[in-house]
Amino acid sequence: MQNFITSMRVKPLLLCGTLVPLQVALAAPAAHSHPSNYEHPTTALAAAVDQTITGRVTDDQGQPLPGATVVVKGTTIGTGTDGEGRFSLVVPTANAGGTLLISSIGFTSQEFPLGTRTTFEVRLATDTKALEEVVVVGYGTQKRSDVTGSVVSVPQDRLEKIPVSNVAQALAGAVAGVNIVTSSAVPGAQPSIRIRGVRSITANADPYIVVDGVPFPGSLNDINTNDIASIEVLKDASSTAIYGTRGSNGVILISTKRGKTGKPEIRYNGYDGPEFFVNNLTPLDGPAYAQKYQDFAAQRGFTPTQPLPNSAEVVNLAAGKTVDWMKEIQQTGSIQDHNLSISGGTNDVKYFVSGEYFKQRGALKGFQFQRVSLRSNIDADLTPWLRIGTSSFFSTNNDNGGRADLTLAQVTSPYGNLYNPDGTYAIYPQLPELLIKNPLLALTTTRESVVNQLTGTGYAEVAPTFAPGLKYRLNATYSFRPYRYAYYEGREFGNLNGYAQLLNDERRNYTIENILSYARDFDKHHVDVTALYSSQQNSYFTTTENASGFINDAIGFNGVGGGSLTPTISSYSERRALLSQMGRINYNYDSRYLLTVTARRDGSTVFGVNTDKYGVFPSIALGWNVANEAFLQNNALLTQLKLRFSYGTTGNEGVNPYQTITGLAQGQYAYNGVPTTSLYAGTISSGGRIIANIGNADLKWERTTSANYAVDFGLLKNRITGTVEYYVAKTNDLLLNRQLPIITGYSSILANVGSVRNQGVDVALTTRNIDKPDFGWETNLNFGVVRNRVLQIYGTGGDDIGSNLFIGKALGGIYTYEKVGVWQVGEDPSGQDPSAKPGDLKFRDVNGDGTITSLDRTYQGSTIPEWQGGITNTFTYKGLSLRVFFQTVQGVLRNNGNLNFVDLGGRSNTPQEIGYWTPTNMSQDRPGLNYNNPRGYSYPSDASFTRLKDVTLSYNFPSSITEKLHMGNLSVYASGRNLYTWTDWVGWDPEQSYTVGNGTGNGGTNYPNVRTVVVGLNVSLR
Amino acid sequence: MKRFTLACVGLLGAAQLLSSCEKEYLDEEPPSLYTPQTVLVDSLGFEAAMAGLQSVVREQYTSAGLQGLLGIMQEGTDVAIPGQVQGVEVPYYNYTLLNSQDGGASYYWSWAYRTINNANQIIAGAEAAPASLRQGYKNRISAEARFFRAYAYDFLATLYGDVPLVDEPVTSPRTDFTRTPVAEVNEFIVNDLTTAIPNMFDATKATSGRIARGAAQHLLGQVYLRMNKPADAERVLQTLISSNTYKLITARYGVRANQPGDYFSDMFIVGNQRRNQGNTEIIWGIEQQLNVPGAQTEAQQRRMWVPAYYNVKGMLIADSLGGRGIGRMRLSNWVDYRLYPQGEGAADMRNSRFNLKRRFYYNDPAQTALFGKRVTGLVGTDTIFFITPYTTKWNQYNPADPFGYGTIKDLPMMRLGESYLLLAEAQVKQGNTAGAAASVNVLRTRAKAAQVTADQMDLNFILDERARELIGEEQRRITLVRTGTLVERTLRLNGASVTGLTANKALMPIPQSEIDRNTSGTLAQNPGY
Repeated sequence: MQNFITSMRVKPLLLCGTLVPLQVALAAPAAHSHPSNYEHPTTALAAAVDQTITGRVTDDQGQPLPGATVVVKGTTIGTGTDGEGRFSLVVPTANAGGTLLISSIGFTSQEFPLGTRTTFEVRLATDTKALEEVVVVGYGTQKRSDVTGSVVSVPQDRLEKIPVSNVAQALAGAVAGVNIVTSSAVPGAQPSIRIRGVRSITANADPYIVVDGVPFPGSLNDINTNDIASIEVLKDASSTAIYGTRGSNGVILISTKRGKTGKPEIRYNGYDGPEFFVNNLTPLDGPAYAQKYQDFAAQRGFTPTQPLPNSAEVVNLAAGKTVDWMKEIQQTGSIQDHNLSISGGTNDVKYFVSGEYFKQRGALKGFQFQRVSLRSNIDADLTPWLRIGTSSFFSTNNDNGGRADLTLAQVTSPYGNLYNPDGTYAIYPQLPELLIKNPLLALTTTRESVVNQLTGTGYAEVAPTFAPGLKYRLNATYSFRPYRYAYYEGREFGNLNGYAQLLNDERRNYTIENILSYARDFDKHHVDVTALYSSQQNSYFTTTENASGFINDAIGFNGVGGGSLTPTISSYSERRALLSQMGRINYNYDSRYLLTVTARRDGSTVFGVNTDKYGVFPSIALGWNVANEAFLQNNALLTQLKLRFSYGTTGNEGVNPYQTITGLAQGQYAYNGVPTTSLYAGTISSGGRIIANIGNADLKWERTTSANYAVDFGLLKNRITGTVEYYVAKTNDLLLNRQLPIITGYSSILANVGSVRNQGVDVALTTRNIDKPDFGWETNLNFGVVRNRVLQIYGTGGDDIGSNLFIGKALGGIYTYEKVGVWQVGEDPSGQDPSAKPGDLKFRDVNGDGTITSLDRTYQGSTIPEWQGGITNTFTYKGLSLRVFFQTVQGVLRNNGNLNFVDLGGRSNTPQEIGYWTPTNMSQDRPGLNYNNPRGYSYPSDASFTRLKDVTLSYNFPSSITEKLHMGNLSVYASGRNLYTWTDWVGWDPEQSYTVGNGTGNGGTNYPNVRTVVVGLNVSLR
Repeated sequence: MKRFTLACVGLLGAAQLLSSCEKEYLDEEPPSLYTPQTVLVDSLGFEAAMAGLQSVVREQYTSAGLQGLLGIMQEGTDVAIPGQVQGVEVPYYNYTLLNSQDGGASYYWSWAYRTINNANQIIAGAEAAPASLRQGYKNRISAEARFFRAYAYDFLATLYGDVPLVDEPVTSPRTDFTRTPVAEVNEFIVNDLTTAIPNMFDATKATSGRIARGAAQHLLGQVYLRMNKPADAERVLQTLISSNTYKLITARYGVRANQPGDYFSDMFIVGNQRRNQGNTEIIWGIEQQLNVPGAQTEAQQRRMWVPAYYNVKGMLIADSLGGRGIGRMRLSNWVDYRLYPQGEGAADMRNSRFNLKRRFYYNDPAQTALFGKRVTGLVGTDTIFFITPYTTKWNQYNPADPFGYGTIKDLPMMRLGESYLLLAEAQVKQGNTAGAAASVNVLRTRAKAAQVTADQMDLNFILDERARELIGEEQRRITLVRTGTLVERTLRLNGASVTGLTANKALMPIPQSEIDRNTSGTLAQNPGY
């Protein structure tokens, strides 16, 4: 709380009163100091004539049922059962003629007239209807059968027993319409998530992530997957519109585990295993590399004086000494995770505490990622009408370490030198060539990159006893996220001055939500109403210091002031805030006819002075549970049938702050060697952080209006269940970094331009193919098809080639020439491409004018996949289960940088999988070594793939054994990930991005995809 | 219950109060961002904006993104041939590859318009600046900005022909540009310069690194020549020369005055390049300084001009050889062997071993058999960029950085020597060959070269003399395009190094991305692309 108050910005908010209810609510229990007052609220009223009743509640197996509710119907007189299922309740005389109601979630309630009976032995039957899945929706929960929106629960088995470092990796391919793009396999890298395609280009396309009801400001890497109880993905406008401006890209709701009444349960989950480098590109070996230089010389038209470009290589060639750089940069990777949790509680206070240690050692030298996290979730019923709780967690993760360079290893000569004669790394392996540094050199650098995430959430829930169904909830979350990056490179890296960089940033976020809800059944009418008032603020501050001129490498960044040359420093500060109001009405009649109406109004700082900062986002959804109609009761074929329709609008404010303001970049310049502040428009500052942009005061929300049509069905006693959904989403006022002619002085402006439509079908199907007591086979299939089309831009009716926007075509388009082959010796190019030489790429003369010009470019496809899906087959035999999961992504075109890179003018190696044209091999695919791609052809290639994503074999020990061991549960498993990929893509991975060439440094995203195999253990003690 | 009621009342009260705070809560005030409205209000702001403008201007010839960019200005002309090329310069000697997606044409175009935008910001800002700012200051800062705007438009008009004319900051997403005829652009340039000249500081008064009156006069003279107004050119150049603000260097000076060398080479040594360092000849130099933030770039001049001699066994990277070059280009045979005629060329200081290095000696003591001997007899055609004559104007070596990515020395943009050559050109164009010979002889006297006579004077001689005086400093392509001699001179003097050079290729293509992005207007392409 102190943090709130010290922040000046929050002060008006305090006055605004959002915190007032919290203070009042929290003050409440403190005023009544005796806990017994509310455990037995009636004792004071009805003195000696009260009657004490006792009893024991069990389930239908006769096992004690802790936490069951025992209450005198229509009053607040009540208690709960203890760990043995026993209860004791004092009933005032006034209520002696009442009815005792005994209930527990998942069981059918029972009622008993009180009369003279004082002991009760109650066995509650399992309620099949109540067991029905409850799903988390925005600002609440709903029974699965009452849901009208498109809400998909992620299968629980995706969260355990798979070696993943974050949640998104677990989601890949598991949910229809959710696309996880793993653009880097670097340990600690985060995949991006796209729900139902890409709506926006410039604005953020990431879904909104909500953890335990409050927006999550950190990174998915911070969340321990073992802590997750459930994940729901909200896809359509009806379910996301209550998140207003944050809803356009879909919403992911994560609920963490919470304590349950009963004996403490101690759980340990852990796994460990190696990771393997998947070798997709192999540099040319010595002889082939030497041949390439001869071929290069012949194609460039010169006679080389020596057999290889550099004298150091010539020496090694003569000595027959080669280096396998790919082998040198590798090590055996590993991945391990240890997770311990303790949960339990009494009727009034429940807890869940967990800790995790995750460590990944890369398959490339120097790469690693580790995380330590701690979570504590507490819920406490302070009075019958007040419950408070906290969810708080701390995580620290780092990907420290200087890293070997895959890109460089790919291009360094096999005749280069790995070491100097004294055993240190050779800085330049192929002297006198100074362009290519040793791929292992970055291992000599010191690099620290640590992010800490501290999040505290508190809630108070007030359910006044006089107004059943009414509930007020206050959520307050504060998170603090400091990040520190420190780097030093010195003499061993070839930097004779030494160079240090320090970067520190802090992100502070808070959210305060007031939620008022009311749920009530009137006969067969069910009504539930929710209202919200919330405010949110994110602030960011960063500083950077760069220094060089260190006398030696002893202290590095620890003494950044030791740099004798003038340091450069910069800082940046940013704030964004959001104010929201929301209302929702859910109505259903007899769980047959369902209606949801929502509206949200959001105001954001990031939009213009000339426009309204507020936007209103309404939605409506209808559902019909056909299976609940009398005419379908006991139907042998059709067990479940629900029709759903929703329509609504969501927004997107996912742009950086200050885009409405024309800014000046700050840099430095010098007159006569004296540094001077310099400010200029339209370029990037030397700090590299602030892009001096042309502001757009007219900036407003991007709005997506979508319709969703869905059928949920269950056939043959739910042996086959599934959902088919069709949706059309149209995004207007598309936020786009519109490319401007540089004549304006600026290369782009953020503007609302045009509209885009996404339409698609999501299908999810589960079939229980074999369902025997000992043997089962279940298949889960999901796939999503999405068609993305640009409808209009600027209202002009024309394409904007410069911004890569083409009417009637998908976003993410690739617009380039059509390669039809390679010019061969003796072919006459004069009628098609008069400048071409043998070995040059041959392009189609689309307009037939006898020459290749910019008019011969065409739209060739999109980086958005046409369809994708996943199929999981699970086989169970007694305690043994085998799960096999395939993922596929089809119809994607990507530019392939590997093909675009040639060999730096004969000076570097290239992968043998890529190859090159020679007059004798007459390749029709690859150009010659002297081709410098004057037209900027981008080498679009099919990036479709199918992957055997994971296979898990697990064994659950039977209870006969676990009981002997005094365990609740014991299972062991072996799991493999990224086992095999089928693709035509030439490169390290079709999904991932790599830089190509001679870049040195710390590897960036350049990391091969890895294959992982682990063995794991899950144990619980109770 | 009471508490609950209180909480509800609190909430209701809060809702009431909130309506009054909302506005402030959603206001957007960038805490760490400067804006034109907060900067261009006082002299400190204008000074920072001027430094910003100059840092953009500097990018013209200091970019390292496309390392071969500088080669565009030399290769495919009469003075240079390609060496170890990077790629971007290739279409400028193999002209058949020059198309509208050319990286070089796009880079230089972008540079010019970013410069113009930054100049426009200052000119418009000075007009709108509060009265508290002295009118004299506003005029002067505006004049400096006008010089750079004129410089950028002259560059555009020379190399691209008709170009869109933007004379104020753009505040909305404009995409309706059209090309303004060169004649109109020229009038605009002349107006900027003639407005600027009376308001600028004289070099004696200007701070080091700032633009002064002489630069505007020099540029105006050159613009008049391009406009074929030689009389106007002569008038303004005579004013510049006779002002005596600048003087040719005729004696040894500076940091290496006591070491081997000559006074012509003194001008190009780090520490000697500025007016306050004794260089009375420099009119406009873009300053750079090692290890000073904001004063360093990754300019590629040395790597372009100095050969990759270290690739030859027995040769090591050396200070005296100019540090590490990579020989991206080399001088043409015409410059190497014909520019200085046998006999009389030996006397010309500009051809001395301190200025045009022709001989190499093995310098690796480990190679005892070779050490100290002259490098000769290399075979293999790749040696043309290992051992080849080169101008020493870009020599620079930093022992802490033997790789030598950047060139951290001043870029001489204009010096009085060139003003004499522009004057001679104006005189030749008016038929005053005697005057032209006199102007040229000022430089030849200084260089201790043989005198010329009036009957030798024609445009070609002036252009030859420019190569002798300005090789390495001059952006040769601009001069040849300006004088309409690119095709003729290149084919005549350096024909073997070019392919497909026709009259259409003299002008660069309008960048395709500009045509593509200009969705509401039509930017016509130059013929031939």
